[in-house]
This record gives sequence, structure tokens and C-alpha cells, in this order.
Amino acid sequence: MKSSYNHIMKTKARRDSIRKRHKIEEKYSWDRMSDSQNERKSHRNRALVAMLIVITFFVSYMVELYDVQVSQHNYYSVKSDSNRIRIRPVQATRGIIYDRKGEVLADNINTFNLIVKKELIKDKDNFLKKLKKLVPLDENKHNDIIDQYKNRRLKDITILEDISLEEYSRIAVDQYTLPIIELTPKSKRRYLNPEAISHVIGYVGKVSDDDLYSEVIKIHEGMTEIGKLGVERFYQNILSGQPGYEKLETDAKGEVIRTLEKKDPIRGKDIYLTIDLSLQKFIYDKVKDKEGAVVVMDPNNGDILAFVSMPGYDINLFTRSLTKKAYSKLINDKRKPLINRVISGQYPPGSTLKPFVGLLALEENIINPGKLVNCDGAYELPNHKRPFRCWKKEGHGDTDLSYALTQSCDVFFYRVAQLTGIDTISENLYKYGFGQKTYLDLYGEKTGLIPDRKWKSKTKQEPWYPGETLNVGIGQGYFLATPMQLTLATSTLTNDGNTFIPHLLLSYKDNKTKELTMYDPDNNKFYTQMKNQDYLEIVKNAMWRVVNEKRVGTASHMKKVGNIEFAGKTGTAQVYNLDKGKTGTKSLQDHALFISYAPFDKPEIVITVIVEHGGGGSSTAAPIARDIIEYYMNNKTQKVAVNE
Amino acid sequence: MSDFLESRRRPFSGISSLLFIDKKLLIPIILITIIGLLTIYSSSDGNMNLVLKQFTRIILGIVVMIFIAQVNPDNLRLFAPLLYFLTIILLIFVLFFGVGNTADRWLDLYFIRFQPSELMKIFVPLMLASFYSDKPLPPRTKYIIVAIAIVLFPVFMIMKQPDLGTALLIGMSGAIAILLAGMSLKFFIVSSVSTASLLPILWMNMHQYQKQRVLTFFSPESDPLGSGYHLMQSKIALGSGGFFGKGLFNGTQSKLGFVPEHSTDFIFTAFGEEFGFLGVMVLMSLYLFIALRGISISIGATDNFGRILTGTLSLTIFLYVLVNVGMVIGFLPVVGAPLPFMSYGGTSMVTLFATFGIIMSIKSHQRILRK
Repeated sequence: MKSSYNHIMKTKARRDSIRKRHKIEEKYSWDRMSDSQNERKSHRNRALVAMLIVITFFVSYMVELYDVQVSQHNYYSVKSDSNRIRIRPVQATRGIIYDRKGEVLADNINTFNLIVKKELIKDKDNFLKKLKKLVPLDENKHNDIIDQYKNRRLKDITILEDISLEEYSRIAVDQYTLPIIELTPKSKRRYLNPEAISHVIGYVGKVSDDDLYSEVIKIHEGMTEIGKLGVERFYQNILSGQPGYEKLETDAKGEVIRTLEKKDPIRGKDIYLTIDLSLQKFIYDKVKDKEGAVVVMDPNNGDILAFVSMPGYDINLFTRSLTKKAYSKLINDKRKPLINRVISGQYPPGSTLKPFVGLLALEENIINPGKLVNCDGAYELPNHKRPFRCWKKEGHGDTDLSYALTQSCDVFFYRVAQLTGIDTISENLYKYGFGQKTYLDLYGEKTGLIPDRKWKSKTKQEPWYPGETLNVGIGQGYFLATPMQLTLATSTLTNDGNTFIPHLLLSYKDNKTKELTMYDPDNNKFYTQMKNQDYLEIVKNAMWRVVNEKRVGTASHMKKVGNIEFAGKTGTAQVYNLDKGKTGTKSLQDHALFISYAPFDKPEIVITVIVEHGGGGSSTAAPIARDIIEYYMNNKTQKVAVNE
Repeated sequence: MSDFLESRRRPFSGISSLLFIDKKLLIPIILITIIGLLTIYSSSDGNMNLVLKQFTRIILGIVVMIFIAQVNPDNLRLFAPLLYFLTIILLIFVLFFGVGNTADRWLDLYFIRFQPSELMKIFVPLMLASFYSDKPLPPRTKYIIVAIAIVLFPVFMIMKQPDLGTALLIGMSGAIAILLAGMSLKFFIVSSVSTASLLPILWMNMHQYQKQRVLTFFSPESDPLGSGYHLMQSKIALGSGGFFGKGLFNGTQSKLGFVPEHSTDFIFTAFGEEFGFLGVMVLMSLYLFIALRGISISIGATDNFGRILTGTLSLTIFLYVLVNVGMVIGFLPVVGAPLPFMSYGGTSMVTLFATFGIIMSIKSHQRILRK
């Protein structure tokens, strides 16, 4: 029955229908793609797991993004700003340094650096070839440029430094052949009399690590140059002003996009020094071939009129980037030009100490003005084999203090020193400023040395011998003084005990307010008690005799300076460690010293002259002082012009 | 979530149903493209030229999407092998005649320049779905091996270009497809662990510079000016954006060039800097919504082809997002993967719209179930 039914159904129409159905089934594969419940369920489960995984990832990403964007926002904000914001300091113009008459000693000039941005150089060899045609390059310069090119930290190559505008315009004519080179302006310190004034002014240089730790120097943010030595160093805080800055926004390549903020620099204050440039130059020209020091000071206010340490050196060298070669040449120079002999040269003062020893002996009542000592050319000390000799072999006979000073008799002062004793001598010499800084406004001052028992046992582990007292009595032995100390001590004598602290600063001027601040000497003085004015007069008169008593005074051979009378004291310091007999050359002679003041009755200047290995004080040092006095007296009529 | 699952029961209506368009997918996509245009406009400093170019691509993409949405999925299934093999041939062409700056990824057909590897992002899942459509699931081992071969062949060719990033993405989309097809998890875990155990050997055979790259990825701060620079700058940009962002046109990191590729691979960074965590949250949520919506469509699909294809494609798109964002926040190495619908670029934009055209086609061509 069933089969017949099937047979009936197998009609053509039915066959067609089945075929059509198969076709559809084949097309859509309904049978093979059987949408079974299992496959549906399996996929649903997997898809739900996938959703969970997606949500988990989403949450963990959001947590991380929250951490970066919200929790660490401040940290990244700072980083972002430091990325884009550059602070470019704008250097302040350094104050100008004038002398007391308004002559410029140090000013600033605009120079230019010829540079090229490295990224603009496409072909190095081609660039160098073109550059050589444009700018004369020697071997060193050529290597230097290649070194700079290789140095990855540098963005620019500096081809030429500190060229003037004229030099540049010469290059500029042909610059079209190499348009990538450019000119950057730069302010540079310039010293007008670099050698004569070198030890007063010092120089400026790049800020170093040591400068950063200095307690005295104020380092402003962005400062690149700083006074290194001399007045430039001491008055750095006044001269430097305050750099301004530009807050710039830069892109990733470092190109400036815009200026966000700007603060103008404050110009440094101008300084007027007590130095008289013409006098300084006069002295320097006279003594520049020698080694030593010359100081001219006004005892009435402590103004240093001239401050010469020979030899000088070209301080302009230091404002350029000093080459190693040039620097080692300065360092190794046998004449030691870098030493400031005025304040850091320590010399045995020789006979120039005698006025002070004599005065202290009078004041301590060890001797009286009439006390006579017989000089027979040598002085015997008990338990001492060799006698202490006077410079005059035949002796001076009976001498009092005044004559002993005039003749610079050694035996007299041996006796006085022996009578006084080292304790009293050292204590009283301290009173005149020896053995301590003079507090001149320069750094690097030495104290000199007043030897005493304590010092001897401490440094030499030896007791004090009586013979050493005798040596101190004539300014020899261990005793050391700087030229500045001698000057100050002399000024104390001439000014009846009034001592003005020596200073180089006369005034400084604020360029904005035009306000002039004067150095006040009266606030910077002290008084040395002089026990008896008569004693002082005796010493001063003796110093007059040294210069003016013909054929007696050790410096009386010199020509008069018009109608001006001056006083002084010669000194010849023996240089112990030099073997005079063997080498005998001129450069190994004794140091020549001379202290003096003029005019005698109303002193205006105190002069100290020290010439190393210069021979006798009377023959070498005294004539220099004489010429200085003459020059000063002839030119002093010129008014001090500070306010222009 | 039930909303995604139930949505298929709602009747179609209006123009979207006429055009076979899924509004729930289209709206977030349009929103993301608008965000992308804004970000490109801002980070390129108001370059309308770039914006217009990108806009043209978006329009082209939408046209392609609508066009593909009309195609019956069965036709896609039938043509999948043809499309797959044609693209393989194109990939071979690329190996010989490809052009490009750093790697030869582009094929220049004189009237159009495109990356065949981008097409593979669609065609590999399509081929796999088509392959599994007439096989009983879960697949038998031999079908898994064939499927792996289908994935690995183009992956190796793309690696040769060399384009490691795209190759890895395609490999992963293949893995997703095979997993969705019903490969047992056990099998997957065993194979993953054995692959991981081979890593030390791989490390020893790597070049120094490749090792350096990996090391840099793990600590970008150690090399701030080298290869870690991009990542560091990207994090700085995102971090400095904060919660509310620096505001439109104020993204200094991107605009001043600290963030590289701020219109393409690092567009998320540029966006995050200007719109902050708030903007990032909105953007990521849009991506999440798209992914979940895609998976829900896949659950609702009526055959294995539709299920595997929609599931794989939705997950792959989300994977792209994870890879790109993971790259800019330092979760993953810098591989060079664009952010879907945001990054500036032609082929990827059109391919993405085509992908969603496929998903929409499957969604809107569901057959009534025959029980």
C-alpha cells in the first residue's frame, strides 16, 4: 500500500518538485548547515565568554588610562611643560668700570659669532670647501670645525668667534655662495688698558662649579659670565646686574614657536675706581720690564691711586675662550705675570721696617730719642759665633735713632731689637697692620708674617733664638710683608695714627635711577694709638732726612722734585736662598724697596715700590718713587670728575 | 546585555531596514568618525585638506558599507574562496612589485594604491567562516589544521613585506575564528603553552636590535631618546591631558610634534590629550558598545557562517582598538596599528566600513528559522 502510494507520488511533477527543493537545499545548504540546537548553544556560550573577555579588557584599559590621565596627571603635566617650554636667559649688560676721572677701564662691545646649524649641512666636504673660499681657515680651525661637527651634543658649529662687524661684512659680500652660515650677536667684555690695569680689574669668565658654591657671589638664574678675579670678582654683585629671561614655547625639533613670557634684564651698575688711569699707565710703562709692585695711596682717605703689579698680562685674552697654549704660556712664564704681587707677594721688608721698629721702641720706652748706640760695623751676640754685620763695614760710630734711620744703620736696630725682645716687637708691629690682611677690596690677599715664639714652635718645632729677634729688627729673617701692608703702615705713620682702609671703589652708579653711591672712607677707618706725637715726629723727620739730607740720607742722591719735599725709607732685602756669589747675574740681586710719602708737610700720597732682584733700594726703588711723585704733583691739578 | 540579545526580535522599520542598515552600529561608528575628524583637524593645526580627504574616505566607506549590506550573506560565503585566493595573488604581487616608504606594503595599480594586507583582515575571517559553514561543529582536527593553514599562509606573506603588526593581527583574527568555530579550549591551551615554551629559543635567535626593541618596550624610561621616546611622549601627552583634557586645539604634545604620527597610529594620544579621561571614556565606551553589539548579532545569527563571521569580525575590530590603545599607553610594543574609524588613512577606513557592511548584511538577512 505504502509502496504504491510512493509510486503514485513519483510523478513527474513530484520529481520536479523534489529536484527544485534539492536545488534550493544545495544553494542554501540547509541540511548540511543544520542549525542544530547544540551548535547554537555552543556558539552562544563562546560568544558570551568573548563578551566577558571584551569587558574585562575594557575595564583593565580604563583603569590604566585612569592611572595615567588622572592619578599621574601632575607628574605628566610637569613633563609636558618641560618638553615644550624652554627658558632662555637674556644676559644683563655688565656695568662699566671707570677710573676716578671717568676714563673707561672696562666696557662691553658687541661682537658676532659666525655659526652654522648642523642640520643644514647636507654634504660636509662640499661645505668645508665652500667655507674655505669664504673664510681663511688654518689647520687648527679646520680640525676644530670637524671636531664640532662630530660632537653630537652640539647643534651648531661655531666657525668664528668674536668677529667685528667689519670682518663680517667682508665675509658677507660673498655669503651668497654659502647662505646657511649665520651671524649671532654677542656682548663681550673689553678692557682698554689690559696690561697696565690687569691686576686691578681681573677678568670675567664662564660660571664654574666653584662659583656656584661661593657664599659671597650671588648667582642669578641664567647667568653665564662672572667676574673671576680682581674688581670684576669683588664687585661682581654690583657689576653683574640681573639676567632676564624669555619663556619660549618650542616644538619637538627645538624650533621656537612663540614667546610665552618675558622679563627684561636689569643692567649692572657702573663702577668708578679710585685708580688714576694716567698715573697707573705712567707707572706701568716705567716698570713693566721689572718684577715687583708699586702702590700709590692717598693716606687721607685710603684711595688707591695706582696699583701696579709687574709684569701685567693681557686680561682680554681671558674674555675670549683662552686657548690651552696661551694659558700654559702665561702659567709657565718665569716672570709669573698672573701673581698679584701687591697683595699676595710676600717680601721681607728689609730696612723699610726700621721706622716702625724704631717708633715702637720709643713708644715702649725701650729707648729714648737721645739713646746712642755705637756701631763699629758689626754686632756681637753672646753665644753666637758669627757677628751680625752692618751694611757699612767701617761702622757708623755713635748713632741715635734719627741718624740710624737716615743711614739705615743695622747695628743700632740689632741693639734695639735685642733690648725690645721679640714679644714686644711682634705685638706692636701688628698694631701697624703687619701680619694681617689690609682688607683691600680684592680677593686673594696674603697676611704676610710676623714671627713670634708661638709661630716658631708651631711651624718649626723649635724655640725662638735671640739672633732671630735681631734679624726681625732689620726686617729680615722670617718677617714678611706685602707691598699693600707696607703702604698701609706708612700711611698710618704719615696720618698720625689715622688709618683709612685701602680701597679701590670710589663710587657706583645705578644706570636706571642715576643714583650715585659714594664709598665713605670715614666709615672705614680706624685709629692707631700714638703714645707720643714727638716720637712720631722724630721718625718722620728721619724719613725726611733719608731723602733730603745730602750725602747722609740713603736716598739723598736724587734730583729734587720742584719745590716739593718728600720723605721715605729705603730697603734692600736679602734674598737668602739665592747664591749671589756663584751666579752673580743681575736677576738674582736683592730686592729693592722704598716707602715714601709726599709732600712731607701735608702728605697726599704714600708710595711703596718693590723691585724684585732690583739691587739696592736707594739705587733702584727710590728713583721710581721720585718720578711718580713728580708725575703726580705735575698732574694733580686736574679735578676729580666723577659726575661727568 | 539582554538588550543586545533581544534586539533581533524587534521588527525592522524605516529607512535603515530598507537599506539593511543597523542603526545601533551605525550611530556609534559615525560618532567615532566625527571624533576622528575633529582630532585630525586639531592636531594637524587646522589643516582642512587632511580633514576633507578623510571625510571623503568616510563617505566612500559608508557607500561601500551600504553596498555590502545589500549583498546576501550566502553570496559572500560562496565568493569567499575566490576573494581569498585573489588577494593571495595580490600579496604575491606586493612581494615583487610593492611600493612604500619603509616596507613595501602598497600595490600601485595606477588608478588606485592600496594595501592588499588590509583586505586580508576581512578575507581571512570570511574564508574561515565559509570553510566551516558546511562542516560539522566543533570541527575535527583535520579541519582545524586546514584552517590554520588558511590563516598562516597570508600571515607569512605579510610578515615578509615586512609588516609584523598586520600579520599578527590577521593571525589573531584567525585564531578567534577557529575558537568561535568551536575548537576545544583544551586544544587551544595546550597549543598556546607549547608556543610560549618556544619563546626562549626565539629570544636567543633574535637580532640585537630586535631584543633591544623588546627590552625598550618593557622599560621605555631607560632609553628616553631612543625607541622608548615615542611611548614616553605618548604617555606624557595622555597624562598631561588629565581628567577634562587640555581642550580642543590645545594639545601641546601633539601639535608641537612631540607625539609622532598624531593623525595616524597615535591619534588616540592626540585625542586623549585634548579631551582628557572623560573623552577617552566616551570613546572607549563607543568601541565597547560596537563590539558587544557585533557579538550579540553573532549570537542571533541563524547559521554557522554568520555566527563565526560576525563574531570574529566584531572581536577583531575590538582587538584592533586594544592593540592601538595598548600601544600608546605602553601595554604593548609599538607595532604600527591604526585605531579603527579614527586614524587617518584610506584603505583601513574603507575596509572597516566594509567589515561592518558584512556584519549588517548578516544581521539584516536573517532567515526565519526552520524548526
